[in-house]
Amino acid sequence: MSLRVATDIGGTFTDLVFFDEDATATGLAKALTRPGDLAQGVLDTITLANLSTDAFRYFIHGCTVVINAITERKGVKTALVTTSGFRDVLEIGRGNRPDLYNMRFEKPRPFVPRHLRFEVEERVDQHGTVLKPLRMEDVEEVVRRCRDAQVQAIAVCYLHAYANPDHELRTAQHLRRQLPRVAVTVSSDVTREWREYERSTTAVLNAYVQPIAEAYLDNLERAVSTRGDLQPHVMQSNGGTTTFALAKRRPIQLIESGPVAGVIGAAAVGRLVGEPNVISLDIGGTTAKCSLVEASTPKVTTEYKLFQTRTFPGYPVKVPVVDIVEIGAGGGSIARFDPSGALQVGPVSAGADPGPASYGRGGTEPTVTDAMLLTNVLNPDYFLGGRLRLDRDQAHGAMAKIARGLGISVEAAAVSVVRLVNANMINALKLVSVQRGHDPRDFVLVASGGGGPMHVAALAQELGVKAAIVPNYPGCFSAWGMLMTEPRIDLIRTQLRRTAEVTLHEVEGVFAEMAREILAQYAADRVAAADVRFVRSLDARYHGQDHTVPVALDGALADVDRIAELFHAAHKKAYTFDLPDTPVEVVNYRLTGYHLARRPDLRKIERRPGDPPLKGRRVVDFGDAGVAEAIVLERDTLPAGFQRSGPAIVEEASSTTVVPPGGWFEVDEWGQLHIRLEREP
Amino acid sequence: MTDVESVTTEIIKGKLLATADEMGIVLVRTSMSPVIYEVLDFACGVTDAQGQLVAQNNGITLFTGTFGLQVQSMLRKFAGTIADGDVYMTNDPYGGGTHTTDVALIKPIFWQGGLIAFGIAVAHWSEVGGKVAGSLSPDSTEIYQEGVQFPGIRLCRNGAVLQDVIDLVAANVRLPKHSLGDLNAELAAVRVCEGRLHEICRRYGTERLTATFGAILEQGERLARQALRLIPNGVYEAEDFIDGDGNRDLQLPIRVRVTVEDEAMAIDLTGCVPQVPGPINCTYSATLSACKTIFKAVTEPTAPSNDGWFRPLRVVIPPGTVFSAVRPAPVGWYYEGSAHVSELVWKALALAAPHRLTAGSYVSLCATYICGRDPVTNELFVHIEPHNGGWGAGPDKDGESGLIATTDGDTYNYPVELIENKFPLRVERYRFHTEGGVGAGRFRGGFGLERVYRILTDDAFSYASIGRSIARPWGVAGGEPGTTNYLEIISGRRRFRGARLPHTTLKKGDQIRIVTGGGGGYGPPRERDPELVGQDVRGGLLTPQQALQTYGVVLKEDRTIDHARTAAQRGGRGRRRPAA
Repeated sequence: MSLRVATDIGGTFTDLVFFDEDATATGLAKALTRPGDLAQGVLDTITLANLSTDAFRYFIHGCTVVINAITERKGVKTALVTTSGFRDVLEIGRGNRPDLYNMRFEKPRPFVPRHLRFEVEERVDQHGTVLKPLRMEDVEEVVRRCRDAQVQAIAVCYLHAYANPDHELRTAQHLRRQLPRVAVTVSSDVTREWREYERSTTAVLNAYVQPIAEAYLDNLERAVSTRGDLQPHVMQSNGGTTTFALAKRRPIQLIESGPVAGVIGAAAVGRLVGEPNVISLDIGGTTAKCSLVEASTPKVTTEYKLFQTRTFPGYPVKVPVVDIVEIGAGGGSIARFDPSGALQVGPVSAGADPGPASYGRGGTEPTVTDAMLLTNVLNPDYFLGGRLRLDRDQAHGAMAKIARGLGISVEAAAVSVVRLVNANMINALKLVSVQRGHDPRDFVLVASGGGGPMHVAALAQELGVKAAIVPNYPGCFSAWGMLMTEPRIDLIRTQLRRTAEVTLHEVEGVFAEMAREILAQYAADRVAAADVRFVRSLDARYHGQDHTVPVALDGALADVDRIAELFHAAHKKAYTFDLPDTPVEVVNYRLTGYHLARRPDLRKIERRPGDPPLKGRRVVDFGDAGVAEAIVLERDTLPAGFQRSGPAIVEEASSTTVVPPGGWFEVDEWGQLHIRLEREP
Repeated sequence: MTDVESVTTEIIKGKLLATADEMGIVLVRTSMSPVIYEVLDFACGVTDAQGQLVAQNNGITLFTGTFGLQVQSMLRKFAGTIADGDVYMTNDPYGGGTHTTDVALIKPIFWQGGLIAFGIAVAHWSEVGGKVAGSLSPDSTEIYQEGVQFPGIRLCRNGAVLQDVIDLVAANVRLPKHSLGDLNAELAAVRVCEGRLHEICRRYGTERLTATFGAILEQGERLARQALRLIPNGVYEAEDFIDGDGNRDLQLPIRVRVTVEDEAMAIDLTGCVPQVPGPINCTYSATLSACKTIFKAVTEPTAPSNDGWFRPLRVVIPPGTVFSAVRPAPVGWYYEGSAHVSELVWKALALAAPHRLTAGSYVSLCATYICGRDPVTNELFVHIEPHNGGWGAGPDKDGESGLIATTDGDTYNYPVELIENKFPLRVERYRFHTEGGVGAGRFRGGFGLERVYRILTDDAFSYASIGRSIARPWGVAGGEPGTTNYLEIISGRRRFRGARLPHTTLKKGDQIRIVTGGGGGYGPPRERDPELVGQDVRGGLLTPQQALQTYGVVLKEDRTIDHARTAAQRGGRGRRRPAA
């Protein structure tokens, strides 16, 4: 046996999906997540799947250790070293009040208290020129004070270090020599973009979690690398993977380790079926996550802000993160009336415990899952493959509150709850598509998570996408997605120049230097240069603007004017106009290096003549699409090429797919369901 | 309203909020002015066909209070001629606006021949001409010195931009590329609004949209009335001063009388100083907007804002005062004046609504202008910057340090690295102004900031309007007052300290030092938890001497609390128990 194994830690379950490279067999396992010992939950799935770690050829892991340590503020005692005069940048932040009318607003609290923020005499300007040399006496003082305070990690962030990191590197070198047991992060190693507050927070958060991530990954590596030659990989927020060794240096890149894998999975599904443009939708118990994939490439941004809400500024993390919009809408979302008497669904969730009322575990609030049960979409005897019997009476009792408030029947109230939660999801889907200049008619919607397949048909109809696809293993889709990823390294450099003043030689020079750095990082992982594929892009803007537009550079640049041409087109697409007479400025150079690793071949399913067995019939309320009797099918019994028009319900252990009246679906050769719908009038 | 309709209403409400957000995204992303794209000095909204605000994005508190008045003044002015494809432009402070640099674009939105709504976007342009670059001269005496006025004019007809208007704008502003860029960005925003409302009409029909508008306003009113019940009935009064009118260093007395009676509130500003020949004045619309800010703050700050909220609010003020100026009074620094309106109402209600309000803050946006010519590109630059400062303490929390003033909202400070890449300036310091201190108290005020610029060009000038430079931010319930804002210009051995700075030329090597104040304290300082005092000492925010003198806290050699001596120290001065 030769196995490719992916494990993904979620809030409730830890999932494992594997491929046997010799037999193209696949399998999966689900174990409860162990909040106190996450690695043990991973080992549980390996045991459950009955796998021997000796057979592992490739192991990839999606983890929550970084985000958990930050969320629970359980990182290590961390210090920050700054340019003299700028000790408080971390705490001042951007000073904004998104909660406009709240006169008791509270700013984000810094992760390093003031007495552990130290100033060092040094100064570099925006071109990287040294204005004041680094004063080593000050660094020595930092060593003394960090030692006294028993600091476990130190972040160093100097002004304009993106332009010249020399002072940061020399500071770090000295700190590491004098304090060998302290983890040291320099801002320019984590991000080479401008904006000092954003870079400081990123460096601080990296330092804050580094010792914890290191211990966790070491522990897991020991457990899975039993043969000694396995190089385990971990999923990064940029949608690619990296080795445990590199992840330990920049653990902040794991911040969204798990959720992005679902997006990569959706892109892989799109590639498989010849649809390069995909919107991925992952609906879990508490949230729905949407992301857009264009030309088989997920959107990666460095505008990520941890914990940001409409009323809270959050913490900027300037590392590449797949652009995901997440909203509080899922199976556990609670329906209730707000103080003005309007019905709201979410963002409060009943979670997994006590869970929806129909779980019969003490939940009394009506949730989306309860509504799906009352409309007959869900089969109470086949939830989680029958492992959890849903209680219709409990759901009915909880939903009665909503029905009374609206003065309608319980069943009608359930339909209202579904309509509202769908409306919230539509707004999120539009945010990633229409609001960013994309026409949904060019996209397919790939739905995963336990809830995705239930909602996807209604959402696809309103959004007006080409089709909806329900992939295999929708309930373990992130783990499946990880098996489709490849190692990836992103580098970004801020270097502000007008296109009219820069030569092609200079542009190529910056990219060449970045390429050398990526290859050096890969070389440490024994990856040959010939196996690395590069993708280049620039962030550019009109002189006078601040926000940039990404410009993809496909192939070689014939001349430097081509950059401006590509920018004008990209700006027009994003914002409806261009300004051909305004100078164009290049702000950031972006280079991504993919290691062209082998992706697994997916197993095709049988094509059998005749209809699969009918599992049953039931009357389902499809909301806007009306009430109708639907046929019920078991997903595992559907052969390739099978087609059927709605109304239909396709059941499987981890999810339920809804095909409303007026829609139809087809099973492709890999067993994926394609749902098509009539256009809106 | 039947069952399904009430749910549809909620769905449309969500779509309207998403529309306002999308307008904001488009505006920021396409703007040419740093004050818009970096500081986010703008707002977008949707009103019904009568000009009542039903949805707004997160932007600036002061703009959202003016939307309704601006749209209503267009409704009056263009009555009978409002046509599909029109877009109106106004920056008239006397026609519902704020000051000349805040330019509103208003688009009437039609569906099947009927007027259904308006989309509105307001943004602060870097330049609209006038006496000085940046247009907001600190020493103007008439509005004519504050740039070109657009008194509600047609910018578009039949969907096409009128080139004559563009030419007129381009000829009257110093940075036409930026100003017209901002105009384009606002135009894109109101067009997005039209597209989204049409989608709603197509799917749900205009009747449902109109019914939703009505429901939004009713819901807002209902919530506001409920929340007013939490404030005891009574008459609440406050007095204060505006420090300097722009041209003179005098203190202008202002006063308010707030009456809360069951589910209604009246704010009476009778008795404030008459309008002055300086740009500190505000017009009625700005004053009304500033009152709405605090009304929203004391009722339900987090719920989405709309004009229904303000139905229980009545604002009384005779014309011709500093808060109800009449033409041609200058109003360039109106946001300094209106900040005092908000603060004054806040001060009056602080003890009546402790669940919503804190002690006094640094109040003033402390906006500075640094302008000149870039020696490398030889282009004109205008660096407009509001400054963050210290906020007041609450009954259960310390004040926030380095937070933007009430007048603004989701507005960002400028990154040092961005400024140095963009302007011939170097930032030499940006940190808490610990030396100045804050209002002490059981909970202390937040810290103000110190920001120091070095000028790197010989062709530069600056002006500024900084308030709260004489009267200190007030404390509450025995808390001490905070500290004041000021600015210093350091040129060689000469050092000038001031607040409302007129046009001042600068040369290479000069420094501008902006210091913002610390917030007021809440409760007696000697009731402060000694551990919190110790924390402040360890963090370098307080000296051990101050800990002893102000808070009666004695620290040991290792900077931990000496509890015995602290108790003796505090007991010796007659310690009182904290109020319940």
